[in-house]
Amino acid sequence: MVAAAPHQSLADKQREFMAQLLDEERALPESWTDRHAAGMDIYRNAYRARLVDALRDTYNRTAKWVGEDAYRQAAAHHIITRPPNSWTLDHAADGFPDTLRELFRSNPEVAELGWLEWAMHQAFVAADAEPLDAAGLGEIAAGFAEEDWANMRLTFLPGTDQLPIAHDIGVLWRALGEDSREEDGESPDFSAAEPLHCVVWREGIKPVFMQVKDAEGRALQMMRDGATYGGMCEALIEMLGEEDAVARAGAMLGRWLHNGLIASVSK
Amino acid sequence: MALSGSLIDNPLTGDPFSGFGLGLRRAHYADFLESDVAVDFVEIISENYMVEGGNPLRVLEQVRAKMPVIMHGVSMSIGSADGLDRDYLAKLKALADRIEPLWVSDHLCWTRTSAHNSHDLLPMPYTHDALDLVCDNIDHAQNVLGRTMLFENPSSYMTFPEDEMSEWEFIAAMAMRTRCYLLLDVNNIYVSAHNHGFSATDYLDGLPLDRVRQVHLAGHTEGTIKIDTHDQPVCDGVWDLYAKAMQRLGPVATMIERDDRIPPLPELLVELDRAAQIAEAARQPVAA
Repeated sequence: MVAAAPHQSLADKQREFMAQLLDEERALPESWTDRHAAGMDIYRNAYRARLVDALRDTYNRTAKWVGEDAYRQAAAHHIITRPPNSWTLDHAADGFPDTLRELFRSNPEVAELGWLEWAMHQAFVAADAEPLDAAGLGEIAAGFAEEDWANMRLTFLPGTDQLPIAHDIGVLWRALGEDSREEDGESPDFSAAEPLHCVVWREGIKPVFMQVKDAEGRALQMMRDGATYGGMCEALIEMLGEEDAVARAGAMLGRWLHNGLIASVSK
Repeated sequence: MALSGSLIDNPLTGDPFSGFGLGLRRAHYADFLESDVAVDFVEIISENYMVEGGNPLRVLEQVRAKMPVIMHGVSMSIGSADGLDRDYLAKLKALADRIEPLWVSDHLCWTRTSAHNSHDLLPMPYTHDALDLVCDNIDHAQNVLGRTMLFENPSSYMTFPEDEMSEWEFIAAMAMRTRCYLLLDVNNIYVSAHNHGFSATDYLDGLPLDRVRQVHLAGHTEGTIKIDTHDQPVCDGVWDLYAKAMQRLGPVATMIERDDRIPPLPELLVELDRAAQIAEAARQPVAA
């Protein structure tokens, strides 16, 4: 932060004004009249409405899934417990999946859906990068000695993210698309038959996602955390046994390349 | 650092840039990308494009290749007693260097303390202390950006018991001390004049109008306290005040701001055409 000249009185007044904005129960300064109170009401309403709308822009499907009243309560709770502190309004939406996890304990798919919306939003404005394709890897790998494969590390496209999930949020995502309506009545069960990982990245200008099985998700997480290809294969062997692991490792690498998740390789 | 007014005025003639433009909003991306929209410039909300990459920047660069762009920010918080945000300024400068806008503008207001951000344009007390602070912050921002900026008169819903001068006196002193230019929001004058009971004409007469380089027009929500919502057409009262302003101003850029309930582009172009007609009429000598 760049230090301004010491305007302490003004700084104190701005902190008090901000406190008034954030806390509707806070007593107004004694020097304020009813007219000041009416003005502050407008600023309070605008503050709340702007943030609730900004959250809805990012979490549109989540709002549809839980319904308008529940969404507004969750958004209000999030704004009170995590008031924004960044210049970018986008960051006001950061952490909302944690708020959803806390508020919708009986419906854990809500937080998973919220995470997916946040990850898609982040991928949408992530830095531009060209994905490596199979031919590109082939050129690089042409000079690989055998041990280079084991030492190979991958860098993934900016904006790539993933989450272990217990629900088929892909189906939920599509069901809550732009033309769908707010849900009412009994919620269908979207529990996944087995543990999955949801993986988000960007294809060109479009954020996309896929759901992969647990072993692939854990392998991908290892590689995103900086593990070597050899280290990832050893972990896969522990998970799947040697025969399955060798075949699956190659297939996974091929899929990540084909889907455009990988930006570069190093050895 | 020497700041160049020539970034804003024509370096060959010294004339201010003039013309009629619109805000570039997501709802109209396809119009601007796929056709030649009849405007002289577009204005962006800077923060919407202060991102790492992706479609917003791609669209902006394509539109920039077609026409001049003005960067209009909402988060500089030039009146913040806690100082300016270094990260914000760096990202704003990076975008300006990339886009080469006609100019960069923001509002006379504050939005944040060091702990919280309101994401709203909050009112300044009009005191000598606040004036010193705002001028220091403008000097700092202009030096970091290497550009002379424009600052917009705000709309507001309350004033402060400790005010020591009028808003126009504050802005006039600010412009004189920092040599910044002014973005005259006619709707904001109209709204605040109603809300605080001053004369909009006194306001215009009290400003150093030779520093004005751009005019904003917008709609607001009626009420006991009028609210600057940018969600409806410009009202007749604002058009009348715009005519008065244009009789006093030289050539400046004028645009319609619409941020909510955004209509199809042709509707906004009709409004913009009305602005052009009023500006043209204001330039005609009054018959004796």
